[in-house]
Amino acid sequence: MNPLPFTVNPLREGIANRLAPEPCTLVIFGATGDLTHRKLIPALYNLAAEGALPPAITIIGFARREKTTEEFCAELEASTRRYSRTPVSDDLWKSFAASIVYHRSAFDDAEGYKQLAREIEESDQKSGTGGNRLYYLAVAPDQFPVILSQLRESGLSGATSGSWSRVIVEKPFGTDLASAKELNSLVNEVFPESDTYRIDHYLGKETAQNIMVLRFANSIFESLWNSNHISHVQITAVEPLGVEGRAGYYDKSGAMRDMVQNHLLQLLTLTTMEPPTSLSADAIRDEKVKVLRSLRPLKGEDVFRYVVRAQYKEGLINGQTVPGYRDAEGVPKDSTTETYVALQVYIDNWRWAGVPFFIRTAKRMPKGGSEIAITFKSVPRVLFNKNEEPLDENVLVIRIQPDEGVSLRMSAKRPGSSLRIEPVKMDFHYGTSFGKATPEAYERLLLDAMSGDATLFARRDEVEEAWAFVDGIEDAWKTRSDDLAFHAAGSWGPAEATELAARHGVTWRRM
Amino acid sequence: MSFTPGISVPIGSIEKALGQLWDESGESKTRASLINLAIYSEEQDSLESNNAVIQGIAGEHAMRALLIQADPTAQGSSAEAWISMNCYLRGAKGGEVCSEQISFELRGEAARSLQSVVFSHLDSDLPLILWWQADFRPPIDGKLWRWVDRLLFDSQIWQNPKEQFELVSKIAAISETRTILCDLNWTRTFPLRQAIAGIFDSSCALPELQNIKTLEVSYATSFRITALLLVGWLADRLGWKLTQGGEYPEFQDTRGGKISVALHQSAKGEEASISRVLLTSSRASFEALHEIGSDLYITKAQGDCLATATRKVRAPREDINELLLLELSRNSQHSLYNRAVKVVQSLWG
Repeated sequence: MNPLPFTVNPLREGIANRLAPEPCTLVIFGATGDLTHRKLIPALYNLAAEGALPPAITIIGFARREKTTEEFCAELEASTRRYSRTPVSDDLWKSFAASIVYHRSAFDDAEGYKQLAREIEESDQKSGTGGNRLYYLAVAPDQFPVILSQLRESGLSGATSGSWSRVIVEKPFGTDLASAKELNSLVNEVFPESDTYRIDHYLGKETAQNIMVLRFANSIFESLWNSNHISHVQITAVEPLGVEGRAGYYDKSGAMRDMVQNHLLQLLTLTTMEPPTSLSADAIRDEKVKVLRSLRPLKGEDVFRYVVRAQYKEGLINGQTVPGYRDAEGVPKDSTTETYVALQVYIDNWRWAGVPFFIRTAKRMPKGGSEIAITFKSVPRVLFNKNEEPLDENVLVIRIQPDEGVSLRMSAKRPGSSLRIEPVKMDFHYGTSFGKATPEAYERLLLDAMSGDATLFARRDEVEEAWAFVDGIEDAWKTRSDDLAFHAAGSWGPAEATELAARHGVTWRRM
Repeated sequence: MSFTPGISVPIGSIEKALGQLWDESGESKTRASLINLAIYSEEQDSLESNNAVIQGIAGEHAMRALLIQADPTAQGSSAEAWISMNCYLRGAKGGEVCSEQISFELRGEAARSLQSVVFSHLDSDLPLILWWQADFRPPIDGKLWRWVDRLLFDSQIWQNPKEQFELVSKIAAISETRTILCDLNWTRTFPLRQAIAGIFDSSCALPELQNIKTLEVSYATSFRITALLLVGWLADRLGWKLTQGGEYPEFQDTRGGKISVALHQSAKGEEASISRVLLTSSRASFEALHEIGSDLYITKAQGDCLATATRKVRAPREDINELLLLELSRNSQHSLYNRAVKVVQSLWG
């Protein structure tokens, strides 16, 4: 009797502790854009150099500009040499670049898609990509409808038997709940949800992935991870940069849509979700969605009580004068778009009842960084804590960027004959303990999409629940704008935000 | 000994002296450690060469390093110790991150009482990785291995691999030990195994794994065991049964087909440890090459369905630092290794 043929590569066992990426044709729409040059191609190059890409892969750059494959590759080589996290070797680049093809076409040109279909078929025949297709929409959302509809009309979105067809969508996933639903419906009309990969690059960062490990692989934290022991949580993502040429997009979006709806709510869900039943993509995302559904809605007057929005004015950063937001090129002089937002939210479930979560994001802060700070309740006001000056609370900080790591503040006796208690910090830095450079978020995410692992991608219901929460705030803001505060660039935000936190006896953390 | 591996300290004062060393360094240095790495050697001047190894890797993998140069055959008993720090600049702020190193020179009885002299100086709660650079000698001392989380050795340097593999199997069999065996020679094959496995991720190539007829492996002088481990890996993963041992081994595949194996020792002496692996079936051939002086593996697949697929991937430098870092970063169980070794042992009969 003949043994059954191999369905999986037996030589892969023990080689990598992850699903193997499958041969495929990757089509990047918006191939001449910034994202492709700065992130996608350098990430793909590094994966190729490490032998992590599938053995058969064709990368087709789809864009409107007239150029040859050779010209396209030369541009990509220059940008990869600039942005790659590892030095580019001539030999490896040549080998990698042999899999790149440029396809010039307008996004709405049906003939262009027919030609694309022929090129993909040719790649299947020549390179053994097996009919698997991965479409990366690295374009503005207003281009999605035309691209998706052309993919469907040309038959490119469908997978043949034994192969797959997936789409990666870049944020923003809509501008409000209605547009997100419309966008999701549009995507799901062409690609089923199981083949839709919505990228939030924060989830590809090592430290974001480590939140689950920290919580569920260490018994000391999880037993304290609830309202019995935690006083409040601060989630912060700030940067010293201004709008940097993105005024057109940013002025329509603002900090709430640009950062809170996606990155910060994702960090909130990872921090607060219940343990998933397994490590499967859907088990994890199910738990994250439950958190979003438990968020106490902020609507009407509550928005003006619990949310502070502000805009930066001219100020000093690193000793240099920087203009105010309204003075930036492309920003209307009367813009009311928020560049700073601070909000206090509650998660109305058993675990987090009564614990305030303070979330803030801003541009033109004195420095940049993202972190989650969990402040534990004070010890009882007896023994060491009965003096007039109370002891500092324990604070566990998960630093997402830069200088990824975890620190814990605790109290210790200062050496000496008198009893003097001081806060001390136990600090773990990834860079100190693990010298090796961590891969870029896009490397992990591209590999996951090729392997069919959607764990680090946002699911439709997650995106829509996040928008439902944010819409309540945006709707209230539309009714009036007299709450818009101002702060000098290079300061840590407006007084109103300080007051918001102070109402709970909380001080915003100095980053 | 002309080389001095740090500040000489009495063995009983090592921890205190390390504390003073940190105090004197002020607050500019950050202490970091993920593991205890002990390196045991019976070679003269090994403290110098192993000191160079630690300096080469401590920046990538923070550790408390314990270097032991032992002469268990010497008369009497003597023990000397030195302490030092390995510091590296890290991060945008340029802070110094430092790891501790303790070096021992042990003679006679002190060398034979390794655990009492050395293992009392471990960083508590961190795993102990012991790199044994000497030959294993019977009888196997269960008390020693009970301390060790991972035992590193390199079968490539063994003069009598048959006997040494048997002794290693005995260490693994000591029921009370939880030691994971890590043969650096097996780690040496990892990037090549990864490159070979990558060839067969293609749906065209995968079915050919069940139709392999010949296997050729070209290896550099003194890397025959490396080549045999590679053969053992393929035979185990593909379910081959040995039908003929010796110089020209033959296997039978799961369908009853014959596989002929040829091992070629390269004559020039400059090649990579394994310079070429060629697998052929009746319809296709698959080749992995590591050319002289190249930092790349080139894999080629040729056949009806495949046309010709050539791929290049980065090959790590073949030096001991890279090898050690690879082993420390993978930190895996090596269950495949034990099975590959069984195939190698069966080849010897």
